[in-house]
Amino acid sequence: MASLSACATKPPATNAMALAAYEEADDPLEPMNRAMFTVDASLDKVLVRPVIQGYRLIVPRQGRKGIYNFVNNLRSPVTLANDILQGEFTRAGITLGRAVVNTGMGFFGFFDVGQKLGLDRHTEDFGQTLGVWGVPEGPFVYVPFLGPSSVRDGAGTAVDAFLIDPLTWYSRGDGAMGWVQWAYFGTTYVSAKDVFMDPLDELKKSSLDYYAALRSSYRQIRAAEIRNGAPPPLEDFE
Amino acid sequence: MFLRAASSFVTLCLIAVLALASPAPAFAQEAKSDAAIFVGNFSQHGINDILAATIPDAEKAQRFRDMFKTYFDLPGIGRFVLTRYWKAATPAEQEKFTTLFEDVVVYTWARRFSEYNGQTLKVTNQQPDGADGTLVKTTISGKDANYSFGVDWRLRKRPEGFKVLDIVIEGVSMAITYRQDYSTVIAQTGSFAGLLGQMEKQAADLKAQQKS
Repeated sequence: MASLSACATKPPATNAMALAAYEEADDPLEPMNRAMFTVDASLDKVLVRPVIQGYRLIVPRQGRKGIYNFVNNLRSPVTLANDILQGEFTRAGITLGRAVVNTGMGFFGFFDVGQKLGLDRHTEDFGQTLGVWGVPEGPFVYVPFLGPSSVRDGAGTAVDAFLIDPLTWYSRGDGAMGWVQWAYFGTTYVSAKDVFMDPLDELKKSSLDYYAALRSSYRQIRAAEIRNGAPPPLEDFE
Repeated sequence: MFLRAASSFVTLCLIAVLALASPAPAFAQEAKSDAAIFVGNFSQHGINDILAATIPDAEKAQRFRDMFKTYFDLPGIGRFVLTRYWKAATPAEQEKFTTLFEDVVVYTWARRFSEYNGQTLKVTNQQPDGADGTLVKTTISGKDANYSFGVDWRLRKRPEGFKVLDIVIEGVSMAITYRQDYSTVIAQTGSFAGLLGQMEKQAADLKAQQKS
């Protein structure tokens, strides 16, 4: 019974309004996702938010920015590999150039020297690569602690983490280097939450159904990343 | 020997990358279009008369409301955000929605005017958008160039001139986000009146958060 109730029930054709809304939401796992979303809200309140508030208290703004730049720079190989897998060689060149100048002249990536030279930051991941290759996003999935995702993007994250990222190769295996992986994950997590916390609080305040607004924003951001920033299609704006 | 070879290789790479990455100056050479001037005026008006002005917050909110009504295509936004529900609604309901939507937007943004810290808007590009529209791409940046972000303005030519139909912040369209939020609420409450009721409550809550 529990597995049955994880899926949303399609409204009958007699209820045209509910059916149209159901199809527009395109979220077959909605009941389970909303349950996970509630769990995540509690985790956020008791655990994540206090950690981020502590982080903001201890590390000044410039330091947090440096840490953000540092973990972004560590991630360059993943972006580079996916730039190449997508056939985006100009962007691969930018990623490589940024990694070189930021590591060499930016104190191991703490300072984003590349940005000042006009090399704008972008990120790629295997979920985006799959999107470029034409793989549909599949059902929306909400994961406590990690937030919104999709079947495609979840698979992409796994490929990036276990197959592409050299930091994982380096620290995998005997366990002696396991702390590197945890420190990398922990720092990336805290830094990303620090950056996203305020915009998400705003989205929550400006929306009526925060879950629906977040689902929509997530899909739009991913679609924009896959288009590499090209403007969204017209749809039915007329 | 190896080090010298390696460092000249790195220099070569850098030159190649910089050459590839330099933006083509195509747009900079063109004369400013009507659409770019419209967005520029909006930003200048917003910064000079509201964000950077030394007037009470209530006055700022009122000025922003007037500006929002002048520059934005409220009926067009209503049609897009509510789609089939807009067509099914009575003129009185449409009017009620437009008024509440205006309140929600004004109070959502007005809460944050005090955070303004010298950011500026720069038009970077534009392209035709549909039959009578223009999409203007801009970048908003503060003193720290690392924290800049992209905002696209979806404009439509109306009899009285350009109007904003949507703004897209870093890939997220306000109109699409509101549409999916609101259609979920209509489905949950089962009626258009249910949405209006929730919007009324939200507008009151946001209004209560204004600094007086």
